[in-house]
Amino acid sequence: MNTVLVLLALSAQNVDALAERLAGMTAVTGYEQAMTDSLLAVLPGSVRDRAGNVTLSLGRGAPKRLVSCPLDEVGYVVGNVTDDGYLLLRRVGGGQRLAYPIFDQQLEGHRVTLFGRRGAVPGVVGVRSTHLARGRPAATDPPFTVDNAWVDVGATSRTEIEALGLGVLTPVALTKHPLRYGSGLLAAPGAGRRTACAALAAAALAKPRVRGTVVVAFTVQSLYAVNAGLNSVKNLQGPFDEAREVTLTAKFPDTAVETVARADAAALVADLVWWMGGAR
Amino acid sequence: MIPVVALTALLVVQDTSRIADAQSVLAPLIESYGVSGSEAPVRETVKRLLPAWAETETDTAGNLWVRVGQGDPVVVFVAHLDEIGFQVDSILDDGTLRLRSRGGFFPSLFEAKAALVHTGRADVPGIFLPRDTGFTRRAPPPLRVSVGTTTRAATAALGIAAGSSITMPKQYVRLAGTRATGRSFDDRVGSASLLLALRHLDRAKLKHQVIFIWSTREEIGLEGAAAAARQLGTTPRRVHAIDTFVSADAPLELPNFAVAPIGRGAVARALDNSSITPPAYVDTLTQLARARGIALQIGTTNGGNDGSVFTPYGVVDLPLGWPLRYSHSPAELIDLKDVVSLADLVRAIAEDW
Repeated sequence: MNTVLVLLALSAQNVDALAERLAGMTAVTGYEQAMTDSLLAVLPGSVRDRAGNVTLSLGRGAPKRLVSCPLDEVGYVVGNVTDDGYLLLRRVGGGQRLAYPIFDQQLEGHRVTLFGRRGAVPGVVGVRSTHLARGRPAATDPPFTVDNAWVDVGATSRTEIEALGLGVLTPVALTKHPLRYGSGLLAAPGAGRRTACAALAAAALAKPRVRGTVVVAFTVQSLYAVNAGLNSVKNLQGPFDEAREVTLTAKFPDTAVETVARADAAALVADLVWWMGGAR
Repeated sequence: MIPVVALTALLVVQDTSRIADAQSVLAPLIESYGVSGSEAPVRETVKRLLPAWAETETDTAGNLWVRVGQGDPVVVFVAHLDEIGFQVDSILDDGTLRLRSRGGFFPSLFEAKAALVHTGRADVPGIFLPRDTGFTRRAPPPLRVSVGTTTRAATAALGIAAGSSITMPKQYVRLAGTRATGRSFDDRVGSASLLLALRHLDRAKLKHQVIFIWSTREEIGLEGAAAAARQLGTTPRRVHAIDTFVSADAPLELPNFAVAPIGRGAVARALDNSSITPPAYVDTLTQLARARGIALQIGTTNGGNDGSVFTPYGVVDLPLGWPLRYSHSPAELIDLKDVVSLADLVRAIAEDW
């Protein structure tokens, strides 16, 4: 096996482990710092720019090219805290961008994690008890939206919520347990984006031969307003002769079981390595 | 950043010994899987957690029995082992699984979530497929599970067959204070309270025989308890079903009944959809709880209970429970103080009534 193939084989292993790791993390759009901290640790030489993006410059000279991957996700922040210790939410991102029309409904009756100032706090989103709904019409209920989400962390007062380090703007997401199933399938919320980012990181870690300069960027706030992260990279480090955004096709997009195939991720790494070397 | 596990560990350090004791019994029960008709793993966990002196029998319905003491009047406690879930109805040509519900719940809570198929060999991971049409709240098209295969033969090769049970992965998780969440607190809390009562029971104080039963197939029609009731006939004087008190102590519920706040103790489920307890018995229970200093609430809620199938034999049913939020969902939520209170009440009844 020649050196390139060995590197690609190692990259395939990297992308597998890294995809699972990144898919288990939460990066609500605008609140991506924990994820970017991890990428800085994974990628020697990478830096965080003033917008929060993580970038790594490979090679030198012309042409100057950009390859980027958005690492944020549609999620929630605490919008209000009630006197009796419940938390209410607002969604960050989403709307027309979402492929799954009942995205918010995935919260109902499930565990969430709140990323507070004192650490991660487990909670649940309330749901009406099946038994108490008996005899009351339910089939015509409209879909659950974020407006119906009451987060219960077991607290009984606003004071207890504050003591847990929680409050308005605390990021909140479904608790994540990336799932491997079938032959080389990975399911998790945002698995497609996270695996694409893992493939880009694995390609960069493979120390590819680079034609000219390649700026590798993991961008923030792609799902809000004006894609501030990617546009910041372009304006801070550009102009670029060519730009490529890394994506990976996923099944069941925007669901909690968004699914990607390990083989597709490995192929993407190989393609990115070739692209960095100047292939079109 | 302190990880979730570390925060939970901090909470445990602050627990009283009674809370820690309750949690040590409850957590392994929660993390055992047992859809109605497939309760063996839960039954084995109960056996493992029993005190060493307890002698068990398993009847033909799968119910687990422990008899303590001698003589009449016989008193029965019954908590159920099973949990809601699904069974494989059939394997389709594309390798996905068509399901049959076991128990009453909102199927939408399982949709687009991880699945576990329990086979004779191993648990096979998969996913509950998300719907692609009919975007309503409660009535998704019939759920199917994918285990990542594309043919019927490939799925069967994993050991999956019609009748295999299906659940969702679950975990016992501590929340703030003495609260906790998980799936199948209904009725693992009941099972745990029987175990805790037996562990602390003063057998020398028993004045008559007390039978502890962990029953099967409650969620699909009280079937295990019905078999036990037939076997015992008119022998018992009283039966205490130890099961969930579905509480309206939550912001989405109507407050017209079932408002037993969590954290304020066990609940006498004096009126539900299957039985009514004679008021004099509720009064006696209240006096007993007061005499032993045990927190007790009295209430009415929805649902049936295992004790109700004993009543045609002239057995009085006085079901007891603990308040539960978000019943039959993956986010069920309890207060461990109520588990302690319920276990104390079971012990007090066995010893003094």
